[in-house]
Amino acid sequence: MKKKINCHYWNPNLGLEDELEFNYQDIGNDIELKRPIYTKKSLEIIIESIKKARKEYLLKIELPKVFDIIEKVTNKWADPNYKGRKLALEVLPTVTGFSHEMIETWGFDHFMGILKRENLPLFGKLQPEKYKDFTNLSDGLVKAYGKKNITHSNYEPEVIGHICAGNILGISAFEMILDKLVDAATWIKVPSENPVFGALYAKSIEEVDPKLAQSIAIFPFDSKNKFVRDFLFSKSDIIRATGGEMARISLTKLSEEYKVPISGHWHKFSFITIAREYMDKRASQIAELVSLDVTAWDQQGCFSPQEIFVENGGKVDAQKFAELLSEEMETTSIALPKGINSGKMQVLDGYHQYLKKEMMGEPVKIFPSATHQWLVIFDGTTTRFEPSPLFRVIRVKPVNDIMEIPNLVRPIGSFLQTVGVAIPNERMIPFADAIGEAGATNIRAISSMTLQKPWEPWDGRFPLHELFEHDNIRWVSISTRDIDKEIEEALDRKRSIVDSRISSFIQRE
Amino acid sequence: MVKFPSDEWIKIFKEELNKSKEYEEVAKDWEGDFLFVITPDEELKSEVTFYVDLWHGKCRDAYIVDGEKTAAFIFKGPYSNWKKVINKELDPIRGLIRGMFTVEGDSKVILDQSKAAQELVNTASKIPVEFEGN
Repeated sequence: MKKKINCHYWNPNLGLEDELEFNYQDIGNDIELKRPIYTKKSLEIIIESIKKARKEYLLKIELPKVFDIIEKVTNKWADPNYKGRKLALEVLPTVTGFSHEMIETWGFDHFMGILKRENLPLFGKLQPEKYKDFTNLSDGLVKAYGKKNITHSNYEPEVIGHICAGNILGISAFEMILDKLVDAATWIKVPSENPVFGALYAKSIEEVDPKLAQSIAIFPFDSKNKFVRDFLFSKSDIIRATGGEMARISLTKLSEEYKVPISGHWHKFSFITIAREYMDKRASQIAELVSLDVTAWDQQGCFSPQEIFVENGGKVDAQKFAELLSEEMETTSIALPKGINSGKMQVLDGYHQYLKKEMMGEPVKIFPSATHQWLVIFDGTTTRFEPSPLFRVIRVKPVNDIMEIPNLVRPIGSFLQTVGVAIPNERMIPFADAIGEAGATNIRAISSMTLQKPWEPWDGRFPLHELFEHDNIRWVSISTRDIDKEIEEALDRKRSIVDSRISSFIQRE
Repeated sequence: MVKFPSDEWIKIFKEELNKSKEYEEVAKDWEGDFLFVITPDEELKSEVTFYVDLWHGKCRDAYIVDGEKTAAFIFKGPYSNWKKVINKELDPIRGLIRGMFTVEGDSKVILDQSKAAQELVNTASKIPVEFEGN
């Protein structure tokens, strides 16, 4: 008997399960995904029901209760014995292509663990004029760039729609929680690469507070389904969308057509910068941490590094660092193996492209994985930023000074996002000022590139603020005020993940 | 009926707050003074600022500010949003999160005192008021 997994969620009391027809997709491993075939009437009923739940419940409950619900849901997902988590772990590796270990450790234990009250972005609207220099916010720093120009404001959105990309597991959970903080009803289009998690998460909210869950609807549908897409757009006050270039073009057009504002988060590039001060006896620790950034989500996230710049002048040079990184990639990949979408071709392509250069005597050195799990390339031929083939293929490039990097990445400034850093505190602000000016938006300690703190801006906009106002201010954040402390903590975290995973791997073997 | 905003209103607010056992209980740990800044919009012509000194469940002082004044927290928003708060149509903490008000000072401290904020609003809403432009 195959396990049928719902990819949809709405108020179960609507009775639509009996009225609608469903598609069933066999994805292997005795799992079938169940998706509804919508009718106009069913969509109308669902949207009206989330609006009603907002009006009659969400707007009336006290805020501490909302916090309490969020806390309880987060605690459920942190519990390895929670039935929803067990089901997700059974299904998600097949559905998403990520390994069981990646989903369990990096997804449930770490990414979703940040969804706690003390981390939520509850500071409302910041005043950019007070953040002309990097200024304290939560445990980090932020700076406002640009001139205020308000193009949209609606402080009381009734329905917020979300179109989620499939490269990051928990994004739909983040969206559901943020919408409740701004008292909005929620619909979410879950990605075709991961149509399951959104419904499972909504179900976990239902288990804690059924009435709050009734303000949420999860819709799996193909992006080409114009009927559903247009209907949902027309019923929304604002849309937040994540996706690639195709999504940007089609959704921007739709936003104009329906005059519904859109907060888009599109294709981005991220990279790592390591200052010479860390290329001493700590170089192998830095390599340990960097290996986690390259490994996390198989490098599929917009915040995953595509290149590593290592500053010359330290005791360990860029080529030696590449070698150290390759050693750590092997260990980290045992702890957090690649998923079934291994990108083996991308790794081999990268290998052959650089093998030729290495054989021709160019300043190139390849550090390959015997099992094609990853590839580290030292490339001393150019400092120009080049996109990685991804799937754990990473280039290490030497630079004479980290302050050269802003100019190197400026040509792709509007596509820049996260910069993973190991830069001493005293050199951090000048670098952050310059890289922020070049276009990057998030500066994070290495190994935390894919762990966004909820207070941080996202692509230059605060995730709550952009739901009620678009003001053209671009915010740049530094995730910590003390890089060494953050690196120390990150090292403990990384070792606890890798050591425990490797111990269980050895026991299994 | 007293006019809102006015010096008369803030004096009554202070008296009512000091009579409230509910406020005294939920705000027993609160320490810190506020500037409540009401910014002009279509109905209010010029900015009005209330100074309110709250200390362990009591209001030690409250008046309209004439000139410069500083406080631990500055809670600021347009008149139309303050009206919603006084009429109990908007929770001030939710208003803060939704960007309808801004705060200077540690917003986390205020968020931890959401019950006290609720009682401030409950007290304010009991005073019969006449709004500008009505």
